[in-house]
Amino acid sequence: MNKNTTEKQSSCLVNRRDFIKLSGSAVALLANGTLKRNVFAARQSRRQKPKNLLLIFTDQQHTNTIAAGGCQYVRTPTLDRLKTSGVSFTQSYSANPVCSPARSCVFTGRTSSETAVYVNGRPIRSDIPNLGQWFSQQTDYETFYAGKWHLPRTYTSNIPGFNVINTGIGGFGYLCDTVMSRACEGFLRNRSKSKQFLLVASFMQPHDICEWLRLNMDKPQEIRYPQLADKFPELPDNFEFDENEPGAIKKRRLGNEPFKGKWNKEQWRYYRWSYYRNIEHLDAEIGRILQALEDCGYAKDTLIVLTSDHGEGLAHHQMVRKNTLYDEAAKVPLLFSWPGHILENSTDTAHLASGLDIMPTLCDYAGITLPKNMRGRSLRPILEGRSVSADNFIVTEVRSNTGRMFRTPSFKYITYQDDSVEQFFDMRTDTGETKNLAASSRYALVLAEHRKMLREWESRLDVPPNVPNADVWRQKT
Amino acid sequence: MREKTINNNPYFLKENIMAKKKQRTIVGSPLTPTLLDELGALSDFPPSSEDFKPAENWDSTYRIWTCHGYRESGNDNVGFLRIKRLINSQSSLTLKVHQEVLQTDALVNIVDATIDCRNNQLASPIQWKVSSWFRGADGKFISELSSNDNGAAAEGLDRSTGDWCLFEAVQRLKTSKETVLTFDMLEGLSLLKKGQHLSYRGLYTTKIGGENIPLHCFVQLGSGILPCEYWLDDHHRLLAVASMNKAYIFDEQAEKITRQIIEEERKSYEKRKSSQRK
Repeated sequence: MNKNTTEKQSSCLVNRRDFIKLSGSAVALLANGTLKRNVFAARQSRRQKPKNLLLIFTDQQHTNTIAAGGCQYVRTPTLDRLKTSGVSFTQSYSANPVCSPARSCVFTGRTSSETAVYVNGRPIRSDIPNLGQWFSQQTDYETFYAGKWHLPRTYTSNIPGFNVINTGIGGFGYLCDTVMSRACEGFLRNRSKSKQFLLVASFMQPHDICEWLRLNMDKPQEIRYPQLADKFPELPDNFEFDENEPGAIKKRRLGNEPFKGKWNKEQWRYYRWSYYRNIEHLDAEIGRILQALEDCGYAKDTLIVLTSDHGEGLAHHQMVRKNTLYDEAAKVPLLFSWPGHILENSTDTAHLASGLDIMPTLCDYAGITLPKNMRGRSLRPILEGRSVSADNFIVTEVRSNTGRMFRTPSFKYITYQDDSVEQFFDMRTDTGETKNLAASSRYALVLAEHRKMLREWESRLDVPPNVPNADVWRQKT
Repeated sequence: MREKTINNNPYFLKENIMAKKKQRTIVGSPLTPTLLDELGALSDFPPSSEDFKPAENWDSTYRIWTCHGYRESGNDNVGFLRIKRLINSQSSLTLKVHQEVLQTDALVNIVDATIDCRNNQLASPIQWKVSSWFRGADGKFISELSSNDNGAAAEGLDRSTGDWCLFEAVQRLKTSKETVLTFDMLEGLSLLKKGQHLSYRGLYTTKIGGENIPLHCFVQLGSGILPCEYWLDDHHRLLAVASMNKAYIFDEQAEKITRQIIEEERKSYEKRKSSQRK
């Protein structure tokens, strides 16, 4: 990566934390560049740096899939350990709940419309550095990547900025995650301890639920294993859905296997049971890597981050898979662990977090400056128990750059291009997103504020010309 | 012997896969031997023979096949598993396991294991050695990714087994509804999966190559796994193991087929690499 190319990026952009702090009159100051950002840079040099960084990336993991986090349907000893040894965020969102776009955001800190990865299977725009490229330039960390990449190839032996531990066989989590975790185990056990590393272990599970849906669509009247019936999880409270949804959501639901196969409630519950078994498989494979980390003496010097590209419908709103802006698809687990250095057994319910925050956080811990135009923020102050305002917002994009979610601490606003139906939920009283308040006069003012804030955020993006639908958003601003 | 083989099965030809990508049909049902045959995953099963004695020495090879959930595309052979059973004494046996799974860009993961087992219903492991190693596209061993592990079960731990051990144990179980086993499983001799149940489902008439063949089915249910069905002929030879999107299919040609696939993948990888260089 040519460093000059990354510096050419527009410098008048703001991260979203600064933006909400400054929205209103102060925005003008940012626009002409008189206010500088990066609130944590000044303190970086004084702080302790982890010797190693391990980013565990899962695929399609619903936020409520950890036993220690209250999920009663799974056994997750590894995820439980990770959760209780560090900080977990309950309000963490994917920046785009689809595989490739979400990954582009995590690995660049930029929105999917900016990275030009607005659908699956596209490469990251070449003038935006990824995590591996940035760390290779700016740090002494050796950078390694194992498992699913999907930018553009699902698995590849060639990822810019990373030494690739090349495993993966397409779309089969059970087989390829086992091989990937074995490779990571070998990597940890064999490497020289003298050099610090950044390792990304990118799992395919619990994405196997996609194949499960295709292999279990038919014959909902017959449950193949009746002995399991009393073990099936209950349906979620928000199983029913609002008939007056945006058209894109309705269409997506009808195209999914449960509607094609005319599932009954028991089949929905069997699907949920099956999804949790994939989570348990994932948990065991992560456990193999963490055991190797422990055995090799890396554990106390390694900051571990775990997150996912997006969630899973899991029968909420009668949805499966991803690609919607309801919490089940848009929310993701986000865990940090570095015992002795960050808070332990801490659940953060106050702050909104995003996949866009991973890169700034890792850069902060590595003690390096950020690439320009990061859209997220470092979560380090929160991880270390310092007082941080929870008055921020996050934005999630979806559906080939046609949908947007604007989430503030109290509300969630969803809008799609070419669709007059907007959604507006009060997330304090309606966490299941069952009552659309967009048409309620009582919320007209606050809804208008959300529209305005989204437009202002949109106007500051650096979207390349080859991204579809970008003009429509620009015209709205 | 039927004429149909894996190599001339239309589902396995890449040009057909491309052509059919746009007209994919969802499979809709869990993998069974009948469905595997419909999907072109079976070449043939050996005729059921009383010469096969599950409690004696034997050597079985399984092709590892994966399914994307569509009938027309995305279904592939990805490797093989060979298990060799050796009698040690009245009370113990040894399983020698060799598995190769092809990865992206012609990388191959190889797992070798030697497991000394009790001669009980579950073939409970007593002690074992397992190694995982990788061969690159150039065929060379990648030493920095290999790992080795030795283990031994604690005294009295006879309600546990391993996934490879179950391939052996299931062939000695009674094909009766009374057969219900509860145990913990050490998957790949390394990952503990508690609370497993193995039970006999029944005798099913499966349709393979136009013939009706009766096969016995056991099912394993438990934490950390999707339901896993074991299909055996009437002389208790294990012919197929299917769990969600993957199947182990008894096939004496499995190793040869895998080697061919690896070779093709190597050539295609080299071609990709050289075109990138240009």
